[in-house]
Amino acid sequence: MNTEIVVASGKGGTGKTFISSNFSYFLNKKGFNVLAVDADVEAPDLILALGDVKEILYEENFEGQVIDIDYSKCLRCGACVETCRFNALSMSDEGPVVDYNFCEGFGTCALVCPVQAIYLKPAKRGRIFAAISNTGIPVVTGDLDIGEKNSGLLVYRIRELAKEYSFKFNARLIVIDAAPGIGCPVISSLVGARLLVIVVEPTPQSLKGAMRLKELADKLNIQSLAVINKYNLNPSFTRTIVDALNVEILGKIGYDDKVVESYTLMKPILETYPESKISSNLETIFKRILERLSL
Amino acid sequence: MKIVAVGGGKGGTGKTAIAVSIAKMFAIKRKILLVDLDVDNPCTYTLLSSKPEIIKEIYAFKPKILEDKCKLCGKCVEYCPVHALVLIPSKKILFIKTLCESCGNCMIVCPEGAIKEDKAVIGWIKEDKMDNLHLIVGEAKPGERKTDEVMTETIEYVEKIAENYELLIFDVPPGTGRGIYDAFKLADLVVTVTEPTMLGFHDLKKLYSLIRSMNKKSIAIINKYGLKGGVQDEQEEFLRNNRVQYEKIPYDEYMVKAYVSGETVVEAYPDSPSARSIKKIVKNLEKIMFRSA
Repeated sequence: MNTEIVVASGKGGTGKTFISSNFSYFLNKKGFNVLAVDADVEAPDLILALGDVKEILYEENFEGQVIDIDYSKCLRCGACVETCRFNALSMSDEGPVVDYNFCEGFGTCALVCPVQAIYLKPAKRGRIFAAISNTGIPVVTGDLDIGEKNSGLLVYRIRELAKEYSFKFNARLIVIDAAPGIGCPVISSLVGARLLVIVVEPTPQSLKGAMRLKELADKLNIQSLAVINKYNLNPSFTRTIVDALNVEILGKIGYDDKVVESYTLMKPILETYPESKISSNLETIFKRILERLSL
Repeated sequence: MKIVAVGGGKGGTGKTAIAVSIAKMFAIKRKILLVDLDVDNPCTYTLLSSKPEIIKEIYAFKPKILEDKCKLCGKCVEYCPVHALVLIPSKKILFIKTLCESCGNCMIVCPEGAIKEDKAVIGWIKEDKMDNLHLIVGEAKPGERKTDEVMTETIEYVEKIAENYELLIFDVPPGTGRGIYDAFKLADLVVTVTEPTMLGFHDLKKLYSLIRSMNKKSIAIINKYGLKGGVQDEQEEFLRNNRVQYEKIPYDEYMVKAYVSGETVVEAYPDSPSARSIKKIVKNLEKIMFRSA
């Protein structure tokens, strides 16, 4: 049985990938077999933060479904147009027309078509792959094609593949770097996970996102812990976060140029500046996470 | 009426701070509607010290199972594309609300008419009016999956009132998916906001493949320009090679200070380097949007 730890934030750009990449690196260094998962399929960057791809182990297309219409059978009755709840169908002189930007591929229209003129067909929406990063940490990630939807389902498939690879690598710990926000992909990252680490920065905007995320985690019965990143941008805001968020704060991390520099080098800061204040704070926080997991 | 969409791919590059600053500057002379489409975590109003009020609830279909009519045949379970319905043999049909995507298949296939149409609030449209600057916010209810729908309904609502304004500014969520596509589709101009980090750069490239495929006119803003250890040189080269016009906002403490206290830099520190750059960008946008025609 493996343990999934999700790193998420509600608001974008607070340091999810920063924490996930360094946490994975830390665990690996400590001798835990760890697998890193990038669930931010619209902007998957985790593998870059772990040194980029060394070797692709497996790759598959992620396919969704869309509908197609057989106009030779279609009676132009309009039942499909009326049934679709997503306004993906409209009636023209030639018959129903599909707007693929809105089609979810659930096939409700196909169910009501009296002459079976509508059928579902697979459509590529992105890809999923497992790779070894240059830090030696295995990563399972996905990449949603531009302008596509359905990233919740893609996240679900990524987690399935991650479980498969966690057995291959004997990885008991899976670190999931979630997408920003609190929508479908984030829900799919959280469901069934052991722990949520909320990354919050000292701004009202980030706190609001963190509170919305906490509300979601509570609904899903997932324990939340928080890390304050870039706390030195606004040290006095720490108190506000502690009072408003109502979760255990694992620690605070400062911000300086070394963070950006490490990203540019595509290495975790624990590798580039292991002696820095940021690195020692990160290690303290990561040790606390392990304690909370009784590991 | 013109529409500018501000997007960025990666989160935290400064989309909202810049969209709100631009809106404030334009509102000095023009009637502006700022539209917050980051329905997962809308942040425009904290930067405007605004408390927008709910003007519309957004609903989605949820099935209501009539247990006295249900014969436990399991057809609804079979046709639910997202496994939100589970048959507990000889007991009941279990409905898992957090999985439901509101398609209505279950109601259609039920042979007993045991599933009725019900609905649940999945988000809200909120509004505030501050002199020349009006704000519309789409906000998803935590725990609901259909955040795309909240965005779509917000855009539909905005299209109805758009003609009352000279300029609409869309604050777009992070990412490169469907929601971003919808917002960009309506825009006369896409303003991308990036930062000179590897990750910002990586996401910017993905975003530009979307913008190119849509044939959209665009301006890029490299925010936090001069960030130590950053990749601004590579980023500029990429933008030049792709013939994308770009502007820079220098990385200074004022932008950060304003942001952490929930203000815009153009108001809090109007003479700071970052505020001056934003004003220059607004002048440029004014030219592109209103004088080129």
